[in-house]
Formats: sequence, C-alpha cells, structure tokens
Amino acid sequence: MSEQPRITLGGSAVVFEPGETLLDVARRNGVEIPTLCHDPRLKPAGACRTCLVEIEGWQRLAPACATRAQAGMVVASENERIDRHRKSLLALYMTDHPQTDERAETGTPNQLLAMAEAFAAPSDWGRLPQKRAGRPEDRNPYIHYEAETCILCARCTRYCDEIESVSAITLAGRGSETTISTADELSLLDTTCEMCGGCIDVCPTGAMSEKMPLALEARPDRALGKVRTTCNYCGVGCQLDLNVDRAGEGGRGRIVKVTSPEPGTTSNDGNLCVKGRFAYEFVHHGDRLTKPLVRGKDGELRETSWEDALQVAAEGLMGVRERHGADGLGFVSSSRCTVEENYLVQKLARVVFGTNNVHQCAAT
Amino acid sequence: MTNSIPEIRDVDFLFVIGSNTSEAHPIIAMEMKLAVARGATLVVADPRAIWMTEIAEKHLQLKPGTDVWLLNAMAHVIVEEDLTDQAFVEAHTEGFGDVRRTVAKYTPEEAERVTGVSAEEIRWAARRYATTDKAGIYYTLGITEHSHGTDNVYALANLVLMTGHLGRRSTGLNPLRGQNNVQGANDAGATPVFYPGYQRVDDPEVQAKYEESWGVELRPEPGLNLNEMMKAVGKEIFGLFVMGEDVLLSEPNVLRLEKALNANEFLVMQDVFINETARFADVIFPATVFAEKDGVFVNSERRVQRVRKAVDPPGKARADWKILIDLAKACGTTWSFDGPGEIYAEMVRDAPKFAGISYERLENEVNHGYTGLQWPCATPEDPGSEYLHKGGVLRGKGLFTSVDYRPSMELPDEEYGLLLSTGRTLYHYNSATQTRREPGLIAKQPEAFVEIHPSDARKRGIEDGDRVEIRTRRGAVQAQAILSRQVRPRCIWTPLHFSEARANVLTNDAGDTVTGTAEYKVCAAEVSRVEGGAEGEHFPGSFYRESGPPR
Repeated sequence: MSEQPRITLGGSAVVFEPGETLLDVARRNGVEIPTLCHDPRLKPAGACRTCLVEIEGWQRLAPACATRAQAGMVVASENERIDRHRKSLLALYMTDHPQTDERAETGTPNQLLAMAEAFAAPSDWGRLPQKRAGRPEDRNPYIHYEAETCILCARCTRYCDEIESVSAITLAGRGSETTISTADELSLLDTTCEMCGGCIDVCPTGAMSEKMPLALEARPDRALGKVRTTCNYCGVGCQLDLNVDRAGEGGRGRIVKVTSPEPGTTSNDGNLCVKGRFAYEFVHHGDRLTKPLVRGKDGELRETSWEDALQVAAEGLMGVRERHGADGLGFVSSSRCTVEENYLVQKLARVVFGTNNVHQCAAT
Repeated sequence: MTNSIPEIRDVDFLFVIGSNTSEAHPIIAMEMKLAVARGATLVVADPRAIWMTEIAEKHLQLKPGTDVWLLNAMAHVIVEEDLTDQAFVEAHTEGFGDVRRTVAKYTPEEAERVTGVSAEEIRWAARRYATTDKAGIYYTLGITEHSHGTDNVYALANLVLMTGHLGRRSTGLNPLRGQNNVQGANDAGATPVFYPGYQRVDDPEVQAKYEESWGVELRPEPGLNLNEMMKAVGKEIFGLFVMGEDVLLSEPNVLRLEKALNANEFLVMQDVFINETARFADVIFPATVFAEKDGVFVNSERRVQRVRKAVDPPGKARADWKILIDLAKACGTTWSFDGPGEIYAEMVRDAPKFAGISYERLENEVNHGYTGLQWPCATPEDPGSEYLHKGGVLRGKGLFTSVDYRPSMELPDEEYGLLLSTGRTLYHYNSATQTRREPGLIAKQPEAFVEIHPSDARKRGIEDGDRVEIRTRRGAVQAQAILSRQVRPRCIWTPLHFSEARANVLTNDAGDTVTGTAEYKVCAAEVSRVEGGAEGEHFPGSFYRESGPPR
C-alpha cells in the first residue's frame, strides 16, 4: 500500500488528496489563509492575491487557492515576507475603495475592510479617482450594483457563468475603468439574468446587494436576526436564512432579506433561486387574512372571533357527517404545510370524523 | 428520489424526461449544470425546447403523451443489443420475461413514427444509458400528469432495473418533488391509502396498531383520492375541509367543480389569502406562512429539515397546527400538544421509517456532510439514507411491470386542432397567491401567456403579443400569444399560475388509472385571435420567441 502524499504546512506534515489545492489542505487542517476572490463552488481564479503563500524553492509567492499540493512541498502561510506583501496589497486595494462601510446598515459585511483592519494595512496611501461605471438606472427590482465598492474579484461573474450558467454579467471595460456590466449595459431585467441573486451571495464587499433593505431603510440600530429555515417553494428544500428586523412591522418582525448558508453545509450548497432569495413580500402583504371569517345567512363573509369560527366549523362538519355519513366528508390537506400539520389533518379525518377521505395536492 | 441532490454533480449520464428543471427546480438544475461542465452527458426528453436543452448533448423532442413508446423502444434496444445487466436482473428483480416480450414489438423505427424522435437517436440514448456506469434518470410532472402517468413511471423503472442502475451513488431513478412538502405530506399519511410512513390502512396489523395508539376504531377501506374527491363533490361528498390549497385554481376542469360546489353543504377553508375557493367557504380560518411557524418539511431527497418561526403572524392569524388542535377540541376531543416537536414525536413513534428522527437530532447533527436527516432512518444512531436500495432492492426483488402504450384521453381533432400542455415557470409558483404579490416577479412575468409555434400562429392570423382565446371542450380563457419555436408545431403551452386566465378551466380531469393524477399535460385545444383585445403586457428578458432577445 502506497503511503498517502504529504506536504509540510507551517512546520507540520499533513496529508492531502491528489487534486487538492494548498488552500483546501490548509482549511481542512484549520490553518487560516485569507481570501477575497475564492469561493469553494467556483474554479480557482487566483485573482485577488490575498492568499499568497511561500513555497520552499519557489522564487515567487504562490496563490494557495490556485496551486495544487504536490508531495514534499514545504509551505509557509505566515511569515514576515507574506505579511509585508499582504499589507501592501491591502493598502493598494484601499486606495480604490471607500474607507468606511457605508452599506453595513443593509447587513452586508465588507470582507475587504475587515481584512485591512485585521492585518493592520496602511490606510494613508491616498485615493485613486473612481472611474468604474455602475448601472444606476437599472430598473431590475432586486439587485443593486455599487461600482465604487467593487474590487473586481469577479466572483459574481464567475458564479453567473459557472454555477447559474446564464452569463448575464461580465467584466467590461479596460484598466481603471473595468467594471461589472451586462451586454449593452441593459437592465438585468432585460438580459438572460434569472435573478438568482448568487452575485450578491458571493460578493465579498457588498458591491452587489439587495435593493429591498435599502428601500426599507433598514437602520443600523436595528440589528438583523438570522433564522435558518427551509424554503417554501419547490421540492428541493433549500436551506436559507431569513434576515429579520425584529422591531419591524410594529414588533411583529419584518423580513428584510434572505441570505444563503455557507456553501458545503446544506444540500443546496448555498445556492438559491429568484423565488427563494427574493419572493418573501407575500409574508407582509396587506391582503393577508388576519381574522376568522364566517358566512352569514345573507351569504356575506363576516369577521368573527376564533371561538365562534371554530364552533361553526365543528358543528358544520359534524352536521354533514350526521346527514351523509363520515364518507360524506372530504379533507384536503396541503403539501405547502408542515409534516406536523399534515399529520394532524389525517388524524382529524380518521380519528375525529372516521373517514379515510384525506389527500393533498401531491397528485396535482 | 432514490439518490441525493449533491450526488447529481457526479452523474455521468443524465436522462431528464418531463422535467423543466431550470424553471421548476432551479437548484437541482445547477447541480446538473455542474455535471455537464465536468463532462457528463445530458439528454433531455421533452416536447418543449426548454433551457436545459441548450446544454444537452441531445434533445429528444417527443410528441406529448408518447413517453411509453419512447421508453419501451429504448428498452427494446437494450434487450436487442444485449446491454442488460444480467447479474443484477437475476439477483435483484422479478418479471423481466414479461417486459422482454412486451418491448419486442416497440421497435425504434415504429417509435419514430409515433413519438417524432428519430430511431437513431433512440438507439443512441438507449446505448449510452445502458453502458454508462453512473446514469441517473430525473423526471417530474411531465411524466406523471397523464392518464397513463403510472405506466410512464413503470416504463422508466423497467429501464432502471434491466440496466442495474440502482442502489448506488449517483445512479438511480429520481422523481423531483414539485412542492416544498409533497414528500412530507405523503410521509405524514395525508393520503387515502396510508397511515404515516406508508403503512396501508387496509393492513390489519397496521390498523390494530393505530387503533391502540389513537384509542378509536379505524376504517380499513381506503378513502377517495383528491381527483375522486373533487368529482364526488355534490354527489357523495357534501362537506369539505380545505387547508392551504386553492382547489378552484389547481384542480383540473374547474368549471365542473364550481358547479358541483353549489351542491356542497359546508366548506371550511384554512389559508393565508382569500382565493377562488373562498367564494364557496362557510368558515375561513386565517393561517400562517412558513416564516411564522415551526415544523419540518421533507424535500425531494427524503431529507427532513426544520422550518423555524422568524416573524409573528399578522393580526389574529394562527399557526395551522394550532388551528387544527383547536378544531379537534371544538369537535369534543382533548387533543393536547405543546408544539410541533411533540406532534412530530407522536408521528414517528408508530412509523418505523422515521423512527430515528427527532427535533433534537435535526438541531444538532450533521450526517453525510449536510444538515437534516434522510429517511429511512430507523434508530437514533442511524445516520439516515443518502440513497435507497443499497445492497439490494428494498422490497426484496425489484418488480418489472410490463406496460403498453395507451393514447392520451383527448387528442387534437378537426374541431380542436392543437395539443395543449400546462406547466410552471421560474417566476411564479402554482396558484401564484404568493408570487403574484411580489413586484419583482410581476415585472418579469406580468400576465398569462400561451406559447404557440409560428406556423400554427400564421394559419390563425395570430401575431406575437396578440390577445388570444384558448378554448377546449370545457372552457375558454384569454392570454397573450408568444410566438415561440420552443413548442412543437401543433402544440401549445400555457402556465397554470394566473387566476384571471385559469389554465384549469381548460384541462381534462381524466385521471391516471392508479393515482388519480389528472392529465394536465395533454388535451385538445384551439386558439383564436381576440379582435380588439387589450394590449399585452411587456415581458422583459429572455423569452425564447421568434423575435426578441436571444436566450
């Protein structure tokens, strides 16, 4: 049996699977290497250079995300040279980036700012003129692009190509005018974009963000709570995090956005579609039923108390059973409701009313 | 699904039939896209040139309703060319002889005549499926919403069994569930034939177990399925309890149902919005949406996952589980549960398939790399099942079922010259009570439309964007005509989402002979231009139409 290949990482020998990158090996072994352009779902780009490591015998530093482990490599992820390099790199990024996190109120953390602070990157290298064009007129309802905050790591465009495969956005322009754009600078609404919002999910700086929290003017003094739940649309069962302004809607709580779980932790791998990520306004819609209704003798529906509605319902259903037998009743349960609720409906039909006439929209 | 969603990216041959995956199951489509990018072969069998065909090696554009012909002809090729997995067939199946005899007459040449898919392509697809080790079949309502839907599924299962494509990772037969908790609703026993966990109501042992558990006498005769129930309204059924479904939008041939509801005596409805069904309701309980309650949903891959309350219900609305307990109490019971966790625990106590699953485990554990637990999961130590039939078919022997082609119940004729199929789009969801209250989705897809092939449109003097009337023997609705080469000539397609143009006014309520599932995918229809009709709304973006932006 051949021995599993090893590298030396930060002085310790660690095994790796053929094909793994140095970043994969490091993360699997709990060694922190910072990244901005990396996403485990995407092919390595090696674009942001924040993950540079030193490999013995190599003249230049190498990006850990795009360098495959080879048996016998001796790798350093932290030393004076790497630190000096990283500080310079982050300082350069900051010359082309707003110094404060203006969009923090939307709950989108800026990984670049956090990293610059964590590594104590110099902040006095001056400011470059902002030349990247945004699409302020884009009338798409969901996705906002803030060109100034963009660092051109291309996670969004690569996600759009490699995962969603619709290639609606692309790197456009040259040099300092390079930006993220669409064909002919069309609104996303008029492109192949399916508005999955993956571009928002992968963006490390919040340059891509949801329009909804902006519209709601979610304020920083209302910290957002996150609730992990299961999407209520199709049968894929994506896990998602409802971001809730708990003080919103008069204390009822207001969903202000939906974010993805960490890739690799749930079976949707952090991916969501347009409905899962954006279609939650129905929760807060003014058409929601808020009171029990009972139809009066005049044929009109009227608001009533729970007590009354439950009484009328129970008597009505039992009346039908008396007149037509238990099988004169039909119970339509719902594949939109929870398992527990479906369990209760079939139990109600079978135990309380004595019929097996219970089904749900599975057939339709 | 016999397999798990994350296994899809490692499949080498994907056979997608009757599933508009990128619109109806976008995240599963993403996994398929990854597989194709890695080098997998994707074959799409669908009457429409759906998005997935853009990345498919081949598109088998069969005529709607001819699936049995296509699949039996594939089986024919596999038998004829000796591509069966003999060892698997002998060890794990029964009834192959019957199928072998039946498929003998389904030659690819004759199949070409019936289905419109060339004999050469049928041979190619059959060979590639049979000879690829990791081959997965993915299907959904395009297979089941037929009067012969069960036959379609049997024909697929026969292919799986004769090639031994079962019981392994990334290899199996995968129906993609259409709704968030279709799987869970069935698991929970909201079906006329099963108690929770697929235990038959007519099995005396099961009956005895539940009689003891629930302390009442139970009925051994299966009840009516939904399709039968709706047809019985006003004849045998005079009282309905309807939770979370708009039967007057989602059931087939709704005008007949509407008439029948006039003879219904009492209807209780529990929902979150006023809908079409509300017109017939005597009592309406204001219920809650997923974000307002706790519980579990079960997804397509049998994964039980938590639903968690994030916001309070509006006004006096109550969680559905609370309402059901309150109603049971109003009917004189003493039901008492302190919450969904306790209800779930009661359910799994008598259902061996789920016996190992608990809220505590769902909260704290990661199994096979992901959160949630996939049934079967028999004990608290069981990590759950990523894929089914591991090391042998669950029922002991995989049963071949020989099926013969039966034409759809209503096919085009001189009066109704087009074949209508209905379905779902990416931007809306079923009866669209939720998605049509979402401004962004309305912007993308504002109103009802019907896809019609340019050649059929021309014959009828219809231009792109015209207001048209779609008619069948059951009723008529209006929609905007989208001239599209996505549909076959003489076929039209319309989504079911729009309450002002209810597609189910049109559809045939002929049900599948076994399941009662209605034939939403095939009926005869005709289309004509509405003179002076309203100007159509603009659909921005990526319609696959004759004029307009490319996809």
